[in-house]
Amino acid sequence: MSIEKKDLARHIVTSYAGPKIRIMEVCGTHTHEIFRYGIRQLLPPAVDLISGPGCPVCVTPPGFIDEAIYLALEKGAVICTFGDLIRVPGSAQSLADARSRGAAVQVVYSQLDAVKYAAAHRDKEVVFLSVGFETTTPGACLAVLQARDEGITNFSLLTANKTMPQAYEALKDSADAFLYPGHVQAIMGTEICEKLKADGISGVVTGFTARELLTALAVVLTEFPKGKPFFKNCYPRVVTAAGSVSGQKLLSQVMEACDTEWRGLGVIPQSGLTLRPEFAAYDARVKFAVPPMDGRSNPACRCGDILRGDCRPPQCPLFGKVCTPEHPVGACMVSREGACSAYYQYGGLTL
Amino acid sequence: MCVGLPARVVEVKKGMALVDASGAKREVSASLLDELDPGDYVMVHAGVAIAKITASDEDESDEILEDLL
Repeated sequence: MSIEKKDLARHIVTSYAGPKIRIMEVCGTHTHEIFRYGIRQLLPPAVDLISGPGCPVCVTPPGFIDEAIYLALEKGAVICTFGDLIRVPGSAQSLADARSRGAAVQVVYSQLDAVKYAAAHRDKEVVFLSVGFETTTPGACLAVLQARDEGITNFSLLTANKTMPQAYEALKDSADAFLYPGHVQAIMGTEICEKLKADGISGVVTGFTARELLTALAVVLTEFPKGKPFFKNCYPRVVTAAGSVSGQKLLSQVMEACDTEWRGLGVIPQSGLTLRPEFAAYDARVKFAVPPMDGRSNPACRCGDILRGDCRPPQCPLFGKVCTPEHPVGACMVSREGACSAYYQYGGLTL
Repeated sequence: MCVGLPARVVEVKKGMALVDASGAKREVSASLLDELDPGDYVMVHAGVAIAKITASDEDESDEILEDLL
């Protein structure tokens, strides 16, 4: 290991003397790791790090939770879900609350585990809460194909899958450069980042270790003062230019684009993914004729402003008082990857 | 939910891979990767191997910084 190079990235970051810059880390895991490694303390005042909308749990609107609770309580379905979603507030209650009223809610590690659960419980309808970005969605597609191939008819998805490029466009005025989420780009490749650069949007694909995060920040802070849009893949050991061609094929085989609501950002056209009509038998909304639900958030919760980078978690009147990881009011406090959760754990809460 | 876990491939069969993540073994889907052999390192996300890992983060960062200078 070359000590000089190890220190170089840190040196570039700590001694930055260029113009003010707002860098948005889009991925929730980036937010957490930057705090955990103490990288925020290294940043000079001219560097403003903003947490973006890259935590799928945080951008899931309350109406989606309402739909899941409807399926569990009204249709008697077993809800299989990633654990983070259980405490996300719906309009009136969370899945955890619904479970105490008799809803069957199973936590699974992956979508394929939900198919296994369905195969082992053929007498029950099993609905998987399909959230996630391009990294997570291929697993949901694999689950649907596996259910079809194995004749498992009691399995379906309630989709709220989202894609990132439209969000970058929607947020381009909120940041001067993006730290692109490494594992979204692992699937999608870097062509989209080059296209965004051509549209004037700067960013670097970033990994998750301390060295990768510091290196990515060093690249941003070296390129930004030059005044031109830039793009660099700072995570080439995992992200290739082409990405996972099989993953992309799988996505377009099983899913198609749709308009979708992001908590805090509203409906972004064509930024969601839903099952193609030929897979309607695996679409819980179709299968159970779920009525449209407009969810309502707690009006005092500022998750939406936080996801746009307009407000920091400590500026929310609920933060650290009525909204804590034990009793979350907003989604950003529920998920470990949420900005509020990260600020609460590492951000020097002052009362 | 969005945790990426690096793991070493122990065995590959029928689109699935047995991986070892710091001693914890688990079967994951290998459908997204065209060629996978025992001994390869992969990034695992929600039970799916999403990419091969081709270098250490130190070598990678050193190269990027060299480009920068």
